[in-house]
Amino acid sequence: MAYEFTKEDLKQIEEIKSRYPEVMPATLPVLWIAQNRFGHVNPEVQKLVAHTLGLPQAHVHGVAEFYTQYYKEEKGKYVLDVCTCLSCQLCGGYDILHYLEDKLGIKKGETTQDGMFTLNEVECLGACGYAPMLQVTNDQYVNHLTKEKVDKLVETLKKGETPGYEKIGMPQHENI
Amino acid sequence: MPEVIIDGKSYNYEGKHKLLQFIQDLGKEVPFFCYHPSMSIPANCRQCMVKVGQYVIDRESGNHELDDKGDKVVRWFPKLQTACNIDVADGMVVHTQETDELVRRAQKDNLELILINHPLDCPICDQAGECPLQIQTYKYGPEGSRFEVKKVHKPKRIQLGPRVVLDAERCINCTRCTRFTEEISKTNQLTITRRGDKNYPITAPGTEFDDLYSLNTVDICPVGALTSTDFRFKARVWEMNQTPGIDITNGKGCNIDLWTRDNLVLRITPRYNKDVNDHWMPDSGREAYKLFNENRISRPLQKLDGEQILSSWNNAIATFNEQIDGTDSKNTLVIGSPHASVEENYSLAKFSNLLGIKQPVFVPHIVEGSGDGFLISDDQAPNTNGCRLLGFTELDVKSIKNAVKKASLIILLSDHLLDRGVLSEKDLDGKFLVVLATNHSHTTKLADLVIPVTTAAEHAASYVNVDSRIQRTFRAKETKYTNRRLDLEMSEGRLDRYGTNFDNWVTEENKIDCLPVWRFITQAASARGLDMVLTEGRQIMEEIASSLEPFKGVNYQLMDEHAGILLKTETELKESVKQ
Ligand code: SF4
Ligand code: FES
Ligand code: FES
Repeated sequence: MAYEFTKEDLKQIEEIKSRYPEVMPATLPVLWIAQNRFGHVNPEVQKLVAHTLGLPQAHVHGVAEFYTQYYKEEKGKYVLDVCTCLSCQLCGGYDILHYLEDKLGIKKGETTQDGMFTLNEVECLGACGYAPMLQVTNDQYVNHLTKEKVDKLVETLKKGETPGYEKIGMPQHENI
Repeated sequence: MPEVIIDGKSYNYEGKHKLLQFIQDLGKEVPFFCYHPSMSIPANCRQCMVKVGQYVIDRESGNHELDDKGDKVVRWFPKLQTACNIDVADGMVVHTQETDELVRRAQKDNLELILINHPLDCPICDQAGECPLQIQTYKYGPEGSRFEVKKVHKPKRIQLGPRVVLDAERCINCTRCTRFTEEISKTNQLTITRRGDKNYPITAPGTEFDDLYSLNTVDICPVGALTSTDFRFKARVWEMNQTPGIDITNGKGCNIDLWTRDNLVLRITPRYNKDVNDHWMPDSGREAYKLFNENRISRPLQKLDGEQILSSWNNAIATFNEQIDGTDSKNTLVIGSPHASVEENYSLAKFSNLLGIKQPVFVPHIVEGSGDGFLISDDQAPNTNGCRLLGFTELDVKSIKNAVKKASLIILLSDHLLDRGVLSEKDLDGKFLVVLATNHSHTTKLADLVIPVTTAAEHAASYVNVDSRIQRTFRAKETKYTNRRLDLEMSEGRLDRYGTNFDNWVTEENKIDCLPVWRFITQAASARGLDMVLTEGRQIMEEIASSLEPFKGVNYQLMDEHAGILLKTETELKESVKQ
């Protein structure tokens, strides 16, 4: 499949370029535009970005590879990044991960047949206070996970809705 | 004059300097990996840590503040600094690992960190013996490692391009290779992929590291991560000896080192010359090692009943002289060569002069548009300007064909004119062709007499590059008639020094049965009773310098001292005569 930016994308890219004295800093935001458009930045998309910006392909590749948030291959519609770093691990992060593996019928790092979900195990996402937690496609956090909450999340996502942002107060304000 | 105090000693300096380079220029040392004098300074290996500070001056008195012991008090930077990217400043006080325990400790710990995921496969690694990581670990590293778990594994034996192989586990991510493609060769073919302990250099997917200068990354890689596909596993560096030379594959005359073992040139690497090639050379020049080893003409060849057979030197010289005697000098054509050195061309010219034969002609070997404006020139020959300055007549394809047509005896020096499409077999029909050459070719196959001569790896001789810079080679490889142990100018490797002729790695066939052009000419001349003795390049260059204006003042010693001498070009000479 040949990847191409739409006219609007290109307009936006021009606008991004005009923000910097050089083209190179535009690499990150333009990779985001590409990922939002195609769902990933695989080598073909990286090439498109490089050509569009007139930058070396190797440079764009290096940048894309550096950040885990850029998907270098096609992923499911929703990418679930389950944290199993220290705090989450202590609060049952692995239970959540394994529960999801069983529920979706895939192992971590894999994508469901229907292309709906990709499941990843990730390191600390900086929400240790609300452990265990996961993140949905580089965006919303779902905190204080329980099996029930996971069930609900999967249902919501399957319907095509997002879980929404959770508001969590500080313990000293007793409004958790 | 501003002053800097390094390890308790004061040094004056002028201009701007980076501390690491400054320390190196003093002949002292601070270990480092990522810094390279010809590229930008990322300071990412963290190996060159030193302690830097300033003396505390008492404001009121303007004197140095002293401590209880009477030593000057230093206000140190709160953290150690990387010497590679810090500017030398007036009054700077520096402690290196020589005098400071903290610096020693920092360098040691940094090495321990770098080595955590390093495979430590030095016994099978090509870089061993010339590896900055190995050397510096010996000098400054820890005794052992405290790391007891499994190392991170990364891809091995990746063919990055046609000439370079990557072992990502050995890489220490200094980014020298990626900076090379960004800043020097400007192809931007390499980047660092992934991050943290998983990163390593790679090309963009679907592309190849086919940079025309790719092998320079192998030279500058401070570990064995990048190795040459061709040279891999061929030799341990300490078995070879290293002899300076000049790249003869194009007109730029990059300064090189020839690495030999058992009289085979095993690899060619660039040698620093700030006026010619800096630290670099094109990959194509490195291929020349094959010219020195393979397909060589050893012993003269003579055509008998239409077939070339091996002959003796005596026979060859007799035939050579007979042919000259039997031919009217007007019908003898001597063709010099931009592929041969100044001394070789001169020897031939001097000989023909004495015999009343016309001054040699030559055909430049220039392929328009094949150069890149960097280290690859349009000129395919190392000594075109040398032939011009010797006053040889420059002929194009058409006029050389004419000249050949008129001649019946042709003496051709080291130029494969048929192979490069200047002459055709038909042009040479019915002529007696003498070729003095190093390697077999279509051209030498047609010759009636083939005289094997030495290559740039076997003689000391000079070449004038496209910018009119004269530079010379050294003898790197023995012939049947030279001997490393007697020739004080030849280098000796460990094996040469400690081995004997009875060792099984000494291969007599690697010494070619050939003579320098001037030796052959001298023998031919003495057989004719001519008073002409040319012994070696050094003497010939003196003779040239005293008789030919363009070479005035040139000699080997000067060339060695200045890494070559810039001559006046032909046009400059003409102008200066006019004035
Ligand atoms: S391959 Fe060598 S030159 Fe390149 S980053 Fe690694 S260590 Fe440095
Ligand atoms: S450990 Fe899971 S968010 Fe920090
Ligand atoms: S040489 Fe200074 S940090 Fe690498």
